[in-house]
Amino acid sequence: METIVGKERVGEKELGVLFDGGKVRKRREWRGLKDTLYDYARWLYIMSILAKFIAKPRNIKAMFRYRWMANYLATPHMVDKFTMGLRDEALRIVHTSMDFVVYDVASTLDNIFKGDRRTGNDTEFSKRCVLTDENAMTAFMMGFPNVKAILREVPCMFVANLLTQYSSTHYLDVAQQFGLAGDVCPMPEAEAGVSIDDDFAVLGCCAVQVNTTCDGSLMGNGLIAKRLEREYGIPTFQLVAPMRHREPDVQKYAAEDMKKAIAFVEEHTGQKWDWNYYFDSARRVNDATRKRMAWLEINSTPYPQFVGAPFSLYNDTNYMGNCGRSKLFPPVDAKILKYAEKGYREKKMMAREYRHRAIIWGVQPQYCIDMLNWMVHCWGIVPLTDMLSMINTRMIAEDDTPENREQAYYDMAWLNENMIMRNRTHGGYKVLVDELWEFCDKMGADMVIMWEHMSCKALTGMHGQFEEQARERGIHLVWVCHDLCDPRVFTRQAIRNQLNDYMRTVMREEPLDPSIEILPDENAW
Amino acid sequence: MPVLKKLLLKLLAIGISLFAVTFIVYFFNLDMKLTSAIEPFLLKHYDNMPRNAHL
Repeated sequence: METIVGKERVGEKELGVLFDGGKVRKRREWRGLKDTLYDYARWLYIMSILAKFIAKPRNIKAMFRYRWMANYLATPHMVDKFTMGLRDEALRIVHTSMDFVVYDVASTLDNIFKGDRRTGNDTEFSKRCVLTDENAMTAFMMGFPNVKAILREVPCMFVANLLTQYSSTHYLDVAQQFGLAGDVCPMPEAEAGVSIDDDFAVLGCCAVQVNTTCDGSLMGNGLIAKRLEREYGIPTFQLVAPMRHREPDVQKYAAEDMKKAIAFVEEHTGQKWDWNYYFDSARRVNDATRKRMAWLEINSTPYPQFVGAPFSLYNDTNYMGNCGRSKLFPPVDAKILKYAEKGYREKKMMAREYRHRAIIWGVQPQYCIDMLNWMVHCWGIVPLTDMLSMINTRMIAEDDTPENREQAYYDMAWLNENMIMRNRTHGGYKVLVDELWEFCDKMGADMVIMWEHMSCKALTGMHGQFEEQARERGIHLVWVCHDLCDPRVFTRQAIRNQLNDYMRTVMREEPLDPSIEILPDENAW
Repeated sequence: MPVLKKLLLKLLAIGISLFAVTFIVYFFNLDMKLTSAIEPFLLKHYDNMPRNAHL
């Protein structure tokens, strides 16, 4: 692609000066007066969320009870990773999205400890909670206004690993000490380790588990369900989405299973499905879909605005964890879109040069997820979108009619089948390989950064086809191997070095900011 | 009037001092330096907790 040259960044020129090999950064970034003050104000806001959270005695108790809670000491540090080098609208977009994710996770934690038998022990509240999987679409909760869906594994594992890179290692060791295989996906394995180590909060009147995408997930769910049911008396429903989710002949089965999941929740919570609330939620799902498509539209232009890990993580939270149930998301979506449109109109850029437009495919290294932001500043590669964000674009039925009440089960099943990750890693060749090239065409990408999660079996079989087809299309395909959430196998720098080597040897390019080509962050949070 | 002026000056002084202190904490990353120093003690505490660990 033709290089787009923009303005020099205001403030800090070399971002490497912020790193000194320690656990945290030497200092925060100077972004010029206006943006530094903005960032400072957002830091105050995050500190106020944390202060409100820790002011509750049950949450302090939880801090001393659950090992994974220690990772939350690093919350502001995580936000700093995502805002590194950003100015103007890009900085505001990341803060708007990620600060809301921080608020949402803090609310989830607060709810978890309110109902947790070991800390808050509010039994009445706990009776209105349904535990769900980390990788579960919460579509089956769209018609329960008075029931809380608690994604119990998200704060223990998924978010914890965004906060600190070594958050999962203790739990992986525990799982393997008990004889579990070490070559499966470390994410469900770490979750199984949390369960084995008796480090999950215990709450809820029932649980719904979803067949996720892999051998590790099936293994972990079995162990977790065993402890939930036999030790804590929490009945668990298995919501089994078909893997070939684009085939028409599986949709009836998926809709029937959705009906059974809803009946299970009704039975255990004593609550009735509310169609008004469902269709309100469906309207919000459609609204979120429209906004996501608008952001992608902007990212197809020469001036992408909402990109990288915050784009992916905000979509995860909104699409999968929220699934239209909360009224708080649509105003945030609208605010982000407003910033994105302004940034696009004014041709704002995140780095002084855009040399390549990349689509990020495969599943990201959770402990090095800020690499996408690093890529922009170090090499001028703009991550236009990622595999986990390329989810449902179909509008679901949103008017309450007798036909749409039946259609609603198919829509919820469709959302569940098209949950993040499953919709690409399963479902056949077309969704994983063919559609990648379609997205490259639509978004004008000249490069694909191919995350290769070494423990994931789902993508391995397609390796050769990706290579062959990228070559045919003249697209630079950069394989970046990692171990998802175990930095002992692939360090952050080992991950970045794969891109560094490609850029220097194949592309014969020099970095935009050489001070961050090698970062001393092996011991960092 | 002088009382109101005094009060306003006092509030302004408190506001400026608060801003100065919090901005120093923010800019020099003192919040994260403090919490990173706390973490090892918490980890030691978790290591010493009795746990009902089993499959």
